[in-house]
Amino acid sequence: MEVGRLPISAALKGKLVSAGYTSLSLLSSLSPSHLARDLNISENEALDILKHAPLDGRIDTSSGHHVINGAQTAWDMLHEEELLTRITTSSVDIDNILGGGISCREVTEIGGVPGIGKTQLGIQLAVNVQLPVHCGGLGGKAIYIDTEGSFMVERVLQIAEACRDDMSANNALSQNVHAGQVGMQPKDFLENILYFRVCSYAEQIALINYLDKFMSEHKDVKIIIIDSITFHFRQDFEDMALRTRLLSGMALKLMKLAKKFCLAVVLLNQVTTKFAEGSFQLTLALGDSWSHACTNRIILYWNGNERYAYIDKSPSLRSASAPYAVTARGIRNNVSNCKRIKLM
Amino acid sequence: MTPENLLVRPRPTQKCTTGCPVLDRCLGGGIPCRSVTEVVGESGCGKTQLCLQLLLSAQLPPSRGGLSASSLYLHSEFPLPLRRLHQLSRARPFGPGHDPLEGIFVHPLQSVDHLLDVMPKVESFVENFKSQFPVRLIVIDSIAALFRSEFDNNPLDLRRRSSMFFKISGKLKLLAEKFDLAVVVTNQVVDLVAPNEGINGLRIGNLGCLVSSGRRVCAALGLAWANCVNLRLFLSRDKEIVSTMNGVGDECGCEPMHCRTRRRLHLLFAPHIPDTSCEYVITREGFSGVCR
Repeated sequence: MEVGRLPISAALKGKLVSAGYTSLSLLSSLSPSHLARDLNISENEALDILKHAPLDGRIDTSSGHHVINGAQTAWDMLHEEELLTRITTSSVDIDNILGGGISCREVTEIGGVPGIGKTQLGIQLAVNVQLPVHCGGLGGKAIYIDTEGSFMVERVLQIAEACRDDMSANNALSQNVHAGQVGMQPKDFLENILYFRVCSYAEQIALINYLDKFMSEHKDVKIIIIDSITFHFRQDFEDMALRTRLLSGMALKLMKLAKKFCLAVVLLNQVTTKFAEGSFQLTLALGDSWSHACTNRIILYWNGNERYAYIDKSPSLRSASAPYAVTARGIRNNVSNCKRIKLM
Repeated sequence: MTPENLLVRPRPTQKCTTGCPVLDRCLGGGIPCRSVTEVVGESGCGKTQLCLQLLLSAQLPPSRGGLSASSLYLHSEFPLPLRRLHQLSRARPFGPGHDPLEGIFVHPLQSVDHLLDVMPKVESFVENFKSQFPVRLIVIDSIAALFRSEFDNNPLDLRRRSSMFFKISGKLKLLAEKFDLAVVVTNQVVDLVAPNEGINGLRIGNLGCLVSSGRRVCAALGLAWANCVNLRLFLSRDKEIVSTMNGVGDECGCEPMHCRTRRRLHLLFAPHIPDTSCEYVITREGFSGVCR
């Protein structure tokens, strides 16, 4: 939308360009007096210009507001966020600290020591995303990118079976079963998990670059889980600057995918120790610059004999921790904790 | 390699029997393929015994829980326990004309760099070895011995050591995935000094506290190596004082006591099995679990 196309005098065009108004969209939300002052012209002349500009440059939203090309009003964003449902983790306590579950359009990083339950949580989410919205899912498919070889089919089937049992118990209670509706079976859950096995960092980068094209062909995918994002990057890179570039490129692509296709991206990370404040502390791997890659960060840790999840970083959630358990049926609330709450 | 080829249909994992049904039940069927399984324990608890037994049971047909496969034994500790291997193979009924020792290939390892040099040779060996019994099991006994002597305790060496872990583990997992192998690695223990509670604690796995021979221990090679394996088993050993219970006292009226070694296998972490443990004994016939 060029200023040059406006039916005004060349002198006025010249003034517009030298004042910095090179495109029409920049004029779209200006008042005539402001423009007059800026260009050092009369208000009538400014009105004249603006009469033409809005017709070409305004991007009408459904609500009729003037918006700059590519931007959104916060009001529209709020409405969109409310429409977004979240994916349950199957543990009510963790869902509560997450504001309902893992949210779409965001990159959530989950890290913890080996054996704390990262892969278990990843598999639980890959199954849960397939549940209908009234059960805490999004009725979609999952992409599971396995870099470590921890994805075991027998475990997925075990978790899916428990999910199916919970769903049919739920349906029986609420009499929500439509006539002729066939419930999902464990192997159906497995079919809906699109599984990629990645064995080197080159494969990982190539795959993440390919996901944009893949997603346009598979619009029903609602979650991407990478288990783990770190493994192939902790080898020695001769050029550490290359590693940093690759990691930030990857982070940017994942963020774009989340926003463009309106899905959740969950990255599982490992922990390492760093020396800070005179003692060794546990921190997520890949360094400080990586910590900007994710929207939310959850750390899983042991407290005595119980597993806890802690919100380490989030723009909208309070720092809080919640206990959880890894059971034969998947991730669930920690039962002993429930008992304590009841007594109170 | 095109990204489309990375999309695979997840297959059920084949397991290799340990040779003992009690242990197999504990492990959900046996040692899984396409994974790296680590066996951690102090010297003398039976890691090598378990490994030798696996080298033999891998040759069993799938109907008996094996992989119908040959195995590769990479060892960093000398000498090679050949006599014990003979003894174990005689205790197992293989078919006539099948010499189990023909199905075991052995290669010594001198150092970490040697291991990295050997990996491409291992890959081409596994790829090109055409026989009725392709190689489906690789055992490295032990990984700790390779690392203990070469790296000092300063931050630079430790960081270099860490990146070696990921390099080695990356290659092992690649082999495991590409050829559907089971990889077993043994590791030693060290005394535990750091606290392991709270958000900065270094507890790894189902057991809050690993105890062997009355001492608090943890797996050698640290947190970085723990991130490199899929499954970790802990073998512990403790002395138990038992009275002989025959009711006959000696001259001073005390009951005779004797020491007994109790051995226990714990599952510290695995992606498909819950927290389990079982007692085991080591006899002439081999490593076997005990139901109590």
